[in-house]
Amino acid sequence: MKERLRKLVCTLAAASMVMGALTGCGGKEETAQATESKNLTAEEVIKIAAESGQVGNWGLGNEYEVMALLSKYDLPTDFLSQDFTMDGFDDNSILLASAMTYNELGLVQNDYDGGYGYGDEIGVIDMNDEGVAMLEDNIFCTKTFAQENPETVAAFLYASFKGWKYAVENPEEAAEICYEYGSSVSPEHQKYMATEVAKLISTNTKGESVSDIGYMDEEAMQQTLDIAKQYVSLDDAAANEAFQALTLDDIRDTSFYDAAVASDGTFNVEKKEVSIQLKWLPDAQFMGYYVALDKGYYEEVGFENVDIVSGGGDIAETTAVNNGTVDFGVTWETNLASADASGMDLVEIAQIFQKSGLVLVYKPENF
Amino acid sequence: MEYEVKLEKVGRKKSLSQRIKENKTWQKASTIVLPLIFGIVLVGLWQTEVLHSWFHTDTFTLPLINKIGGIMGDISDKILENTIATVEVAFFGLVIGSVLGYLIAMLAALYPKIGSGGLSVIGAFASIPVVAMAPVLNNWTKDVSTDANLRSMVSKIIVVTLICAADMGLNAYRGLTELKPFSEDLMAIYGAPKKITLWKLRIPNSIPYVFTALKVSVPASIMTAIVSEYFAEYITGVGRAIRENIVLAQYSTAWAYIATACLIGVVAYVVLMVLQSILLRRYH
Repeated sequence: MKERLRKLVCTLAAASMVMGALTGCGGKEETAQATESKNLTAEEVIKIAAESGQVGNWGLGNEYEVMALLSKYDLPTDFLSQDFTMDGFDDNSILLASAMTYNELGLVQNDYDGGYGYGDEIGVIDMNDEGVAMLEDNIFCTKTFAQENPETVAAFLYASFKGWKYAVENPEEAAEICYEYGSSVSPEHQKYMATEVAKLISTNTKGESVSDIGYMDEEAMQQTLDIAKQYVSLDDAAANEAFQALTLDDIRDTSFYDAAVASDGTFNVEKKEVSIQLKWLPDAQFMGYYVALDKGYYEEVGFENVDIVSGGGDIAETTAVNNGTVDFGVTWETNLASADASGMDLVEIAQIFQKSGLVLVYKPENF
Repeated sequence: MEYEVKLEKVGRKKSLSQRIKENKTWQKASTIVLPLIFGIVLVGLWQTEVLHSWFHTDTFTLPLINKIGGIMGDISDKILENTIATVEVAFFGLVIGSVLGYLIAMLAALYPKIGSGGLSVIGAFASIPVVAMAPVLNNWTKDVSTDANLRSMVSKIIVVTLICAADMGLNAYRGLTELKPFSEDLMAIYGAPKKITLWKLRIPNSIPYVFTALKVSVPASIMTAIVSEYFAEYITGVGRAIRENIVLAQYSTAWAYIATACLIGVVAYVVLMVLQSILLRRYH
């Protein structure tokens, strides 16, 4: 009996090992050899990481700058899916990891709670320097909503800009305000985020300083759309054709920005209760809205209630705005363009981030 | 005489609907016809946008069927590639998990002291949500290989394995132990040793239970594979395609993949049913 059972167990174990071996037939690749030289150029670093297939990005619409960068150096545009931590970078499974200057970069460098504490040891490749910057956080709503509520839209922009202006000038206070409104990160990191976000608001892709909050820079928007057209391929043939045919005039309307800037702060608001859908969890990335809410700027222009709706990894902010769940939203230009191409009715009304906040980080000792 | 008249009266009282109900051919046909009618009505309501008005949605978030079908045709290459990735994970996870589950059940049936604990352990594993297990296993399998595709596969297969092992273990244990009382006595009377009882009685008795387990774990393996793709390092599979397309507001394409996921599930279930009818023929 025992003999028989043992044989059975052995056979089955052998069978499962064979199966395991069969699934494991994929070729193993050598990892990049560590070299002594630490004076590699960005191009060399990108090439080494891409050739060993260890470039990371979150995907889900965040990947186009990385794809543009890879093809700038004639490299394959594949990347690994990065989760919302920097563990992959930490354990070297991702050699060249994506990071936002105002969030992941701080976690990698700093050693406060939740940080990895690498300090200045790491190398950073900036999308703005590489000429593949795409514009990120904006404010958008549906074309129908904008047409029917022009005063509401202008008033919302006016108050939000005021909030952003205050936040950029007082990042520490803005960070504290964000923390009070249900923060997803520690107070120290919140402060780091506020300082870094302020830089994105007040400098453009070329490094020049910008004083007009919400300004829609023609050239930067066009560059974003051009890169998007090159790398976004929608599987829906009709949508893809519509995407390739998009022009800036289809996806942005500067008239509300102009009205907000020209206004003296009095509006005849049509809709007194509005909401805005964030692209991510509540933190200093959206400090302008929290400051405007906290300081009562929205009330000053005639709103009775403004609801700031938290987002997350799988929140489709474009859908939430398009189906009327919320009135305004924060998204990236590319996401808005691809949503419009597949039939949504969205329009960008202000550009909050004036330059790309995406960087690639690496540990020099791995190259 | 009177007796016959009565019979006739009873016969006449039967209405048309009753006669249809009692008709053998109709009874057989109705198991196919009724679901078919339901399906056709549903498709009709969907295509004519009646469903959309009921659920207050639009053709954007719930695209029309012809549109979804069109996209499935257009990108059949990509869909096939993703389908293969998902099915591989589901299949290997299902096979390894089921074998593992059965072995644990056998241990539990033969050596209750060692084995019964194993059943509780896999039962506990199965109650961990996939969304919690998948990212954790992703991190645990980082050292398996330098090839991201391979280590992602391994991590996804382990998740499916754990889910399927529990289904199989708990069901097979019942099949191995809940024997007809007289049959166990009969074996005892014959003086059959333990191994004969195992081969001739316990294992055959467990086969229908194995299929009960598979009926649950085949769809579960596909679902688990799809969900664990969400978290995998290497970007591939039907689940990942659904997520990417929904976040990018590409609902028509997302629906094409949702339809693909449904097809995989239905095909796998049909294959299982055919296998069952072949293997269990002597039981019926």
